Amino acid sequence: MRGRMTRELSMAVALLAIWGFFAWREPAFLSGRNLSLLSIELAITAILALGMFLVLLPGQIDLAAGSGVGLAGAVAAVLVYFHGMPAPVALALATAGAVAVWAGMGVLVAVERVPAFIITLGGLLVFRGLHWLVIDNQTVPIVEGGGTNAYALLTTGYLSPLAGWLLVAAACAAYTWSSLRRRARLLRHGFDADDAELAFLKPFVLTQGLALVALVANGFRGIPVALVILAAVAVLVHQLAAHTPFGRYLYATGGNEAAAAVSGVPVRATVIGAYASMGLVVALTGFMQTAYSGASTTTVGSLMELDAVAACVIGGTSLRGGRGTVPGVLFGALIMASLINGMTLMAVSPEAKYVARGLVLGLAVWLDLRIGGSRQGRGTAGVDGGEW
Amino acid sequence: MSPQPAGPAAPVLEARGLVKRFGGVTALGGVGFRLHAGEVHAICGENGAGKSTLLKLLAGVHPRGSYQGELLVDGRPVAFRSTRDAERAGIAIVHQELALFDDMSVAENLFLADLPRRRLGRIDWEAVLQRARALLADVGIALDPSARVGDLGVGQRQLVEIARALARSPRVLVLDEPTAALARHEVDALLGLVRRLRDAGVACAYVSHKLDEVFAIADRITVLRDGVAQGTEAAGATDASQVIARMVGRPIQELYRRRRAARGAVRLRVRGLTVARAPGLPPLLHDVDLEVAAGEVLGIGGLMGAGRSELLLHLAGHFGRRLAGEVELDGQRLPGGDARAAARAGLAWVTEDRKRLGLVPGQGVAFNLTLASLARLRRGPLVDEVAELEAARRIVESLRIKAASLGAQVGSLSGGNQQKVVLGKALLTAPRVLLLDEPTRGIDVGAKLEVYQLVDRLAGAGCAIVMVSSELPELLGMADRIVMLGAGRVGGTFDRAEATPERLLGAAMRHAGVAA
Repeated sequence: MRGRMTRELSMAVALLAIWGFFAWREPAFLSGRNLSLLSIELAITAILALGMFLVLLPGQIDLAAGSGVGLAGAVAAVLVYFHGMPAPVALALATAGAVAVWAGMGVLVAVERVPAFIITLGGLLVFRGLHWLVIDNQTVPIVEGGGTNAYALLTTGYLSPLAGWLLVAAACAAYTWSSLRRRARLLRHGFDADDAELAFLKPFVLTQGLALVALVANGFRGIPVALVILAAVAVLVHQLAAHTPFGRYLYATGGNEAAAAVSGVPVRATVIGAYASMGLVVALTGFMQTAYSGASTTTVGSLMELDAVAACVIGGTSLRGGRGTVPGVLFGALIMASLINGMTLMAVSPEAKYVARGLVLGLAVWLDLRIGGSRQGRGTAGVDGGEW
Repeated sequence: MSPQPAGPAAPVLEARGLVKRFGGVTALGGVGFRLHAGEVHAICGENGAGKSTLLKLLAGVHPRGSYQGELLVDGRPVAFRSTRDAERAGIAIVHQELALFDDMSVAENLFLADLPRRRLGRIDWEAVLQRARALLADVGIALDPSARVGDLGVGQRQLVEIARALARSPRVLVLDEPTAALARHEVDALLGLVRRLRDAGVACAYVSHKLDEVFAIADRITVLRDGVAQGTEAAGATDASQVIARMVGRPIQELYRRRRAARGAVRLRVRGLTVARAPGLPPLLHDVDLEVAAGEVLGIGGLMGAGRSELLLHLAGHFGRRLAGEVELDGQRLPGGDARAAARAGLAWVTEDRKRLGLVPGQGVAFNLTLASLARLRRGPLVDEVAELEAARRIVESLRIKAASLGAQVGSLSGGNQQKVVLGKALLTAPRVLLLDEPTRGIDVGAKLEVYQLVDRLAGAGCAIVMVSSELPELLGMADRIVMLGAGRVGGTFDRAEATPERLLGAAMRHAGVAA
């Protein structure tokens, strides 16, 4: 328990230090405009990281995610721009393709037992090649000049101030209601739950936080659609990982595959399911990242898989599987996105950015081991269970 | 094994007033302990009594400064900074958990830290094999030094582990539950080895739950309870019931208590079962017939390699290719290799290897207990948290699992409580047939008693139970009928009334000559 607190505290300190440093060197870091951009970049990084989280939990990895991001975005862009397809149809087609391909990689990993590292390393190269082939090494816009469509709106759409406030209010009310109901139900059955103070504090802090987001965002253009998508994906992945049988199977497979298998866990289906989910996430991230660039180019998605892995690890997800939480991953993604955003703002050279990203990844894993997060019971699935 | 002059006075190893705390938990509350050259000194105690902590202090796992009290070697105080220091002082420990490299040969495992070299630092493989052969012959272990360790059975691996400790010619040899995984004849070989070492002047500390072994080998016995030494006595001056009483702090009248349940209808029927590991390989089980009725406990015994675990694994659908024969559960045929069909039909299996196959150690008690039953604990697409916690609480209370909370990591529980979690996971599936593979392996007397009571209770409730055990007293005490396997064949089936250790062993050996 102490290791866990130390760990979370040190991560919070790291985030504050990063923000403080950038705010000091580049006051524009905290401007409404930059925070709005940062939130969109966070959304893109975090969504991919949440998919990576689902793959890491059963002890696998996906190195093809970044290439897949580029390819999915490119396919959709080509369908829209060159074939005049309506954006929603193009997105749906590209998504279906990505899910099928990732499920196929899952089959190779789970059934044929080819190491995930190799399969997805191969995927990295194949998808990168296909990406460049699809766009013919050109720049393919995602929308006819001057117009907009569902594709572009992924990162250029904003909620109106009123809609933003209503959404925040609805989210807070839903969270408060469900957490209080859960607490009451636990207590009624004689289980431990958060004490009254904490039960009040959690919705209170969430409300404050979301209100702050709405306030800052409405000061610029409004809450970005991308941020809303992230919130939806995060809630979904959290429910999936912590509260469904599938999620338990992910943790169990990563925690002890042999024991899981003889306990009736469908290990193969679980791994394939994780990869199929990753396909969905890769497609979504691909559309958002490509939309954020405004067009599909040869560099879109490059090395994003490593940022996703870094975000997961910084957030306490184990590369060996079986350990990790969604809030941790979100936190890790915030650190990565802030770093990259701040460095871009300070006009740090691309060379130095690579070095910094690599150092952060190494440092995060090292700190994780030092502080003992790996030996603590972080990120157990589902019920934390009380004293009885 | 440099013989020590049997000095009359100073113990080779002495501990004085050892106190070790983990956070708020006191693992050792002032333990004193003397180990002389040329004696076997048994340390007994329930799990959690502090045995492992004591051993770790002796081995230098917990460095100086992290505990209070004194360690003396040859009467001189020592302070180990690491396990290396302890090794240099001549202390070798054979740990309960096997720490071997599966993909390396026996010889490599034996000398890994100190491989003989040729010029340019290349390993002298000739010398490695020769030294390994010499060492194995010296300690009387019949193993091929070039065999891959991963291909060895668990009993043979244990012998490799012991040989590895002996490779350093220790003056003090500490054995932590060395026979937990061994079959009878291997145990005898091991005890013989320990006696030879003792006679050569090695000071042996022997930790075991098996009191018959302790009394067969020990010169003196120290009992630990709750981190405090309950006194040391010469083995000849005490007996098993006194030792148990001191271990648990209360007398145990009778370990095996079975109320005879009315024998109901046959639940599990196995006819002519012949199973191979994989198609094309020779069968491991030949023409096995057995049946178990509701309310009945069928014991399965046999030597190591007789196919006991494989039989249970196959019945549970986790192992092998069925070449011939039928398995029926309540009249419903179970195909081979379909674990889900077996589970659906009401069959549950409890592994002998709880570390590898029983538990997800990083997850909590409730997570592990409900892992096999999640389909029944759902509310819509989600796991119903309250239903899950209630199911877990029911098991925790009825099996008296000691854990800080339902979310406590099972990896941190004692062996007995881990075993109860594995059992509880099977029970939550509401089985009609329960297959238990060595259900009391490596757990303390108190937990054993509770497992026996549970088996009795389940049988009374109409469950059909198949229990594999290496311990004859356990089979004789718990089973209504006993099937002895030898080399994959049924060597004999006995009613409890007609079973004696001699007849059981005879049946186990009946087909032993047939074995490859």
